Amino acid sequence: MKLELDNLSKHFGELKVLDRVSLTLEDVHALVLIGPSGGGKTTLLRLIAGLEKPDGGGLIINDHPIEFFSEESLREYRKRIGMVFQAYNLFPHLTALQNITLPLVKVHGYNESKALEEALILLERFHLADQAHKKPAMLSGGQKQRIAICRAVAIRPEFLLLDEPTSALDPEYTSEVLDLIGELRDEGMRLILVTHEMGFARQASDYILFVGDGGLIAQGTPIDLFEKQRDERVNRFFNKVLKYN
Amino acid sequence: MNFFTDLEGQNNRPAHVASWSLVALLLAAVFWFGFSRLGYRFAWGTIYDYRMNFLKGYGQTLLISLFALVFSIILGVLFGLGQSSRILPFRYLSRFYVELVRGTPLLVQILIFFYVIANAAGLHNRFVVGVLIMALFSGAYIAEIIRGGVDSVGETQRETAKSLGFSPFQTYLYVIFPQVITRILPSLAGQLASLIKDSSLLSVIAIKEFTMAAREMNANTFSTMEAYIPLAIGYLILTVPISRLTRYLERKFSYET
Ligand SMILES: Nc1ncnc2c1ncn2[C@@H]1O[C@H](COP(=O)(O)OP(=O)(O)OP(=O)(O)O)[C@@H](O)[C@H]1O
Ligand SMILES: [Mg+2]
Repeated sequence: MKLELDNLSKHFGELKVLDRVSLTLEDVHALVLIGPSGGGKTTLLRLIAGLEKPDGGGLIINDHPIEFFSEESLREYRKRIGMVFQAYNLFPHLTALQNITLPLVKVHGYNESKALEEALILLERFHLADQAHKKPAMLSGGQKQRIAICRAVAIRPEFLLLDEPTSALDPEYTSEVLDLIGELRDEGMRLILVTHEMGFARQASDYILFVGDGGLIAQGTPIDLFEKQRDERVNRFFNKVLKYN
Repeated sequence: MNFFTDLEGQNNRPAHVASWSLVALLLAAVFWFGFSRLGYRFAWGTIYDYRMNFLKGYGQTLLISLFALVFSIILGVLFGLGQSSRILPFRYLSRFYVELVRGTPLLVQILIFFYVIANAAGLHNRFVVGVLIMALFSGAYIAEIIRGGVDSVGETQRETAKSLGFSPFQTYLYVIFPQVITRILPSLAGQLASLIKDSSLLSVIAIKEFTMAAREMNANTFSTMEAYIPLAIGYLILTVPISRLTRYLERKFSYET
């Protein structure tokens, strides 16, 4: 996918989380956002998801500018992308299966049986078929997140956005979720991922943005960033997060 | 000692039965003492003469409460959501309504509605007036129940729906309401019990409901106790199962989320 940020700005009161950020990535498959807490990773991802409106500048994806000021076209845009949240955000009143079929039927106009079929194929594939009829409260964190990912990919999105999909999980479940994301990536699903899992970032990404201090402190391929990096702030961050790895 | 405390994880049924009986006995003793001091001579024959009156009144109370519940749910949804409507006149209408009704005694509302509004509108059917008054009254409480229920479905749920491409209307229909309904079901059942009891005040405008039957019998025969004791029991027969149901619903849904 092609991603362009054009002087993109986002402020919360006095705080300039993103201050005139510009960037052009011609053909990125797996983009990873890293950086210090409060640096603006979630904010950038939410802008890309069409859940937040910028205070200035624009965002162009695959040569289509996002029309932030038309709620109608924003909604059409959101229908074409998948979003995965840190806290899974499954609908608690629906079973795992219904969580996947509801958007298919109500938003994408599938008929009930076609939606069921699609959902079951996905659940089967990711070894979740046994959980299909359970409500989220009955599932482990790892299962919930994998079902949330199924919900996001069931609509066959143009790309997938994931905001720290494993940081609310017990460590034992982290790898099952990362495996799933890796598998999707290998199949050619385009994704933008915020993560603190540096090992996974390095292995799965083809480009990394280091977000902080109101903009992009550093960027590059994993090798650029992890091995040739000179920026003091980035090195300090790596020293901290890699300390126990 | 063990006979009076509830121990976790132990099935101590005899102790529960004993305590239950003890409390019932104590209450009975208090009443018995009260009545014996009063020197009241019961004449239960009179209520038999008035049985049709009581039964009809009972039916009226039930009907008024049920109709009022249906209408008050409609009002409650309308004005509960209205309180956060983007249409400002509607928002303030909703807020005025809720504040006004919750902030004044039912008795005052009954009198004003009956003598001013119903009169001006030419409404003379007392059953209809009774239903309308109770619906308006209960609607304000249900509006608050519903507003609380909608607020309790967190912002993240709305945002998730939004990210999936749901319209605001679809979000309410498929995500928020189904969750709100299960959460407020116990409170709604409780509201029905309140409606049944509160409708007794309608007797002040001579609507022939359950309490009115007792008042009539008392006025004609001076058998106060023979009229009001069955009245209390009649209300309990309706409200106790409802309060049981409320507890059951609370337990059921607290396990679910
Ligand atoms: N809705 C909001 N209102 C006010 N301030 C906000 C809002 N959302 C984010 N912020 C602030 O913007 C800054 C960037 O937040 P953001 O969530 O994007 O950081 P992040 O890089 O995702 O951090 P983390 O790693 O902790 O998730 C933070 O200082 C945060 O407090
Ligand atoms: Mg974040």
